[in-house]
Amino acid sequence: MSAVIESTFAETRHDSAGPWRAAFRRLRNDRVGMICVVIVAAYMLLVLGSALGLFAKDWNREVGVSYANPSFLPHLENLEAESSRNLTAVSKVAPVDLSDIDPLAPYYKELDERTAKIKVTEIQRSDTLPFGGDKWGKDIIKKTVKGAEISIFVGFAAALLAAVLGTVFGACAGYFGGRTNDLFEWIYNVFTSIPYILLILAFAAVFGKGIATVIMILGITGWTGIYRLLRAEYLKHREREYVRAADAIGASNMRRMFVQILPNVSHVILVQLSQHVVQFIKAEVILSFLGFGVPVELVSWGTMLAEAQNELVIGKWWQLAAATASMAVLVTAFSLFTDALRDALDPKLKAVL
Amino acid sequence: MTEQKNLIEVRDLRVRFRLDKTQTFDAVKGVSFDIPDRSTVALVGESGSGKSVSAMAIMGLLPPESALILEGSRVIYQTRDLLREPRERLQKIRGKEISMIFQEPMTSLNPVFTVGDQICEVLRLHMGLGRAQARARGIEVLNEVGIPEPQLRVNSYPHQLSGGQQQRVMIAMAIACEPKLLIADEPTTALDVTIQRQILELLAGLKQQRDMSVLFITHDLALVGEIADHVVVMQEGEIRESASVAEIFERPQHPYTRALLECRPRLDRRPQRLPVIDDFLRSDGRPAGQQERKRGVVEGDAIILEARNLSKDFLLREGLFGHKAFRAVERVSFTLAKGKTLGLVGESGSGKTTIGLALMRLIDATGGEVLFEGTDLLKLSRRELMPFKRRIQIIFQNPYASLNPRFTVGNILIEPMQIHGIGADLAARSKLAYELLDRVGLGRVAFNKYPHEFSGGQRQRIAIARCLTMKPDVLICDESVSALDVSIQAQVLNLLQDLQDEFHMSYIFISHDLAVVKYMSDQVMVLNEGKLVEMANSDDIYLAPKQEYTRRLLSAIPRGFVPAAARV
Amino acid sequence: MTAYIIRRLWQMIPTMLGVVLLIFVLFNWVGGDPAQVLAGKISNPEQIENIRKQLGVDQPYWKQLLIFCQQIVTGDFGRSWSTNEEVSRIFATRIGPTLTIMFPLLLLETTLGILFALGVAYVRGSLTDRAIMIACTFAMSISFLVYIIIGQWLFGFLLGWFPVQGWSDSYWKNLVVYAPLPVFLALLVSVAPTLRLYRSFFLDEINQDYVRTARAKGLSETTVMFKHVMRNAMIPILTNIAIALPGLMIGSFLLEKFFSIPGLGREVITAVERSDFPVIKAITVYLAVFTMFLNLLVDVLYKWVDPRVEFK
Repeated sequence: MSAVIESTFAETRHDSAGPWRAAFRRLRNDRVGMICVVIVAAYMLLVLGSALGLFAKDWNREVGVSYANPSFLPHLENLEAESSRNLTAVSKVAPVDLSDIDPLAPYYKELDERTAKIKVTEIQRSDTLPFGGDKWGKDIIKKTVKGAEISIFVGFAAALLAAVLGTVFGACAGYFGGRTNDLFEWIYNVFTSIPYILLILAFAAVFGKGIATVIMILGITGWTGIYRLLRAEYLKHREREYVRAADAIGASNMRRMFVQILPNVSHVILVQLSQHVVQFIKAEVILSFLGFGVPVELVSWGTMLAEAQNELVIGKWWQLAAATASMAVLVTAFSLFTDALRDALDPKLKAVL
Repeated sequence: MTEQKNLIEVRDLRVRFRLDKTQTFDAVKGVSFDIPDRSTVALVGESGSGKSVSAMAIMGLLPPESALILEGSRVIYQTRDLLREPRERLQKIRGKEISMIFQEPMTSLNPVFTVGDQICEVLRLHMGLGRAQARARGIEVLNEVGIPEPQLRVNSYPHQLSGGQQQRVMIAMAIACEPKLLIADEPTTALDVTIQRQILELLAGLKQQRDMSVLFITHDLALVGEIADHVVVMQEGEIRESASVAEIFERPQHPYTRALLECRPRLDRRPQRLPVIDDFLRSDGRPAGQQERKRGVVEGDAIILEARNLSKDFLLREGLFGHKAFRAVERVSFTLAKGKTLGLVGESGSGKTTIGLALMRLIDATGGEVLFEGTDLLKLSRRELMPFKRRIQIIFQNPYASLNPRFTVGNILIEPMQIHGIGADLAARSKLAYELLDRVGLGRVAFNKYPHEFSGGQRQRIAIARCLTMKPDVLICDESVSALDVSIQAQVLNLLQDLQDEFHMSYIFISHDLAVVKYMSDQVMVLNEGKLVEMANSDDIYLAPKQEYTRRLLSAIPRGFVPAAARV
Repeated sequence: MTAYIIRRLWQMIPTMLGVVLLIFVLFNWVGGDPAQVLAGKISNPEQIENIRKQLGVDQPYWKQLLIFCQQIVTGDFGRSWSTNEEVSRIFATRIGPTLTIMFPLLLLETTLGILFALGVAYVRGSLTDRAIMIACTFAMSISFLVYIIIGQWLFGFLLGWFPVQGWSDSYWKNLVVYAPLPVFLALLVSVAPTLRLYRSFFLDEINQDYVRTARAKGLSETTVMFKHVMRNAMIPILTNIAIALPGLMIGSFLLEKFFSIPGLGREVITAVERSDFPVIKAITVYLAVFTMFLNLLVDVLYKWVDPRVEFK
């Protein structure tokens, strides 16, 4: 009966716009969805600004004392501050000799020279910073912004890679069937018969650290879910009458796959893409936390949390709070945005839920 | 009849659906009718008429989150208003005093419980029977609804039964507690004609034995003529006419009722054009074009398409490594005469659609030949096939699925022209597209719209226009009007007929509806389980069927009004 | 049935070969020469030379693959590169602690997930439903790490209700003293996504035609939910549990790392940190085999929940 009502409604409505524009209109009417869009957009601007060097460029500068208090709590006891003042000179030198495995080793001399120049201007270390400082006296806010840049970039890039792989594989397997399907099903079975976490770690063990590596690892191991969905979609659409009709008018396979079917499954890809962004941001945080993610000279939410673990015990909660809150707000907004996106693109689904 | 008490009185029923935050839709707008004791009332209407919604409202089964029954609506049952009853009380009535069966028996039965469990559940709930008693009673009821070997079947799961048997189980469940009213919502629409006939006879028999009333909901007026006492015709949420069955069929008052009766093709007549609904709404005069059309193929007609021993196997996995071939089509041969129509009829699983698809290589045939003006299409490479593809086109059944929802109508029409290099440039192609939209009666405004803005009938017109862009010689209509309402169906059939007259195309007309096939075809081919049963000129096959199977199919066609005395 | 199982076992062979090939390509080809990988981690050149010989680094790839296959079949992966412990022994001793954590976790997660989801699906569309869903979304947005860091600090360090970390030799002591905090924290994290997922399973079923039939029969809403809907929703729920089962073996590596639980997960992390390839290779290959058999078992068990399944 619901199908009957559905079709009746379809006829009583007179949307004069295409499906995309109609979806956009539905999204705009979703208040929660729109708030989330604004939040996500704000994060994107932040990331863009930070990537272009507009702000948080100097996140690495040690502008405060060790564990500088947040400005709104200036009178907290800070035992580490004194010691850090004394240690400043020492901390400039590499504490342990790692020269044989440290890739930066040849540059230390140059770096030292540079720091020597900077040191002249950097005499005054402040006791408080807007949201406190870390062990080395770096500004937590700037660190969080820079960390957001890297975590979000990794999440997006990896999700994009996974979506492209999943879509192409799924489209080929579902559309062509037969041998092609067998091949991709085989690859899929191989990848899914290894527990996901283990698969990531196995890749991480071999490929080592680095932003590009993390993106590649997450992308190569994360395409299977999208593949499964897209394959099912293509299997379903391949038999649909509009595709049959395209065959009847002589449309080629490529045309049927990408001109006819793709726009009809693009909403699935879009929703999957944004779900994977969230998933991969979380995964990057954990990988970086474990030390398999971004390299030491960079910062991400994960490396911040790794530092925060020990800080909490000595009562320095601000780094933990900053990384957690910035991540939670983004991920919540992004998840709710994904839900709104799905509802807008596939209104029938909403009627069901 | 007049002294009968009313079992149910529906008064001023109004149902509103919430579409989203701002939009609402009135599905039922002030409907009143009675269901007398021990009688069958038929609620007839096309899709969107509000007939199912009305029945759901009586049962209290409308989804509370989206459906709103407006103030002033009443459903009186035994001096109580069912719409005001508390839920617990309604639950005692449902399934015991009023029960219901639905259109799709497969999905309406719970797949993970056995048939017996599901029947016993009502018996134990409403009749207070113990486990063993309920089971014994369940077997009796299954026997009563004509399930063979009920002792065994009681342990079956729904998927192990055929569609007809599933509907029988639904009926068994509904009548197990001896209800006073059985609501049957399109109970035979999903079934083949021969099964439909059996279910109708079963319902009629049960109504007699059990002294119950039946509310029979259907889109097919011809069906109710045989079983109903009283008919209520609905359209767009309102009652158009409500009268005894004899009056509806013999003296229909409302033009809409007359249209419903006349629009459907009949076995005994074949006018040049079918009457359409507008003919009745506009004037009182008879529709034009009523003289008989002559059909048939004679010796010497030019042959455009010939199939020889066409076969198609589907592979099913079986055993350890093996495959079992399922013969969907088995060595079928026929010829299609130029400018004529060949009808293909058969029940589901007869292979008629498979033949259609195999003819134009949308699926690969396993064996045989398809000769198009002497060339075997099945042997051509994809490249060699291209020029022929243009010349054989197909219109599918489901108007909602056969147009790409992301394309505008203009794109849909221009795409085939681009592929086949028809028309010099975009301007020429657009011009042709505009002309064709006019020709199929949609108008030029359709060009920039998307398919979802059109109704089912309009979408079929778009699909027809798409085929016409390639000027095909052969058009395969695969159940092309089966999903449409009767009044729309007549319009599309008329359009197809006009186009054939104008462009001299040959049609292969596939349908399960024998009356429609008879109306459209010169020759008819009857199929059963992939095999050709009988093929002859359409008048001959309907007047003098040679095969038993054909006779059975023909006798299952609803006969229209049958006076009560002449019924089973 | 037997034919089905044999066919499935037969189909496992190519998948297994694929896994072996993937691991081989990763570790022997991309991973490269252990001498380079281990440079700076193992200082003893003799030991490295030994490892190279074992792997057959100087031989052609097909021969290396052969050696690898031989290792898999005999179960002898040699010794850990860093601790020199036998790989098979690592496996045997680490699996116990992992299961001690994971089994109660899976049990609690599933039970609570189903109960909560059923409750929320029952009041679908209400304010409670929406509030719980938003709370779930928010709970899911916080990293697992944060739950552990704060939980360990709060309940272990600050309140002292549980030991901050540790493990013992006694099974019962582990279960009662050391396991509760990690299990509780993991439960906090996993219950929100489980609840959301199971709720969607229930809602999918609620809109099916057979539910309408059940209501038309006069069944109460509770019977409809707990009998008809529940039984059907168990099918996707079971699938979901089946997917989670292989993860049971690897365990929550984060929990094991934070709480110093000597399980397989922590072993994998340590192995990755130290580029201890034999350990990773062995664990990956055997878990893949285990996963495949588990999947087969689950498919066979399916028949029991879903009568429509037929072994063809």
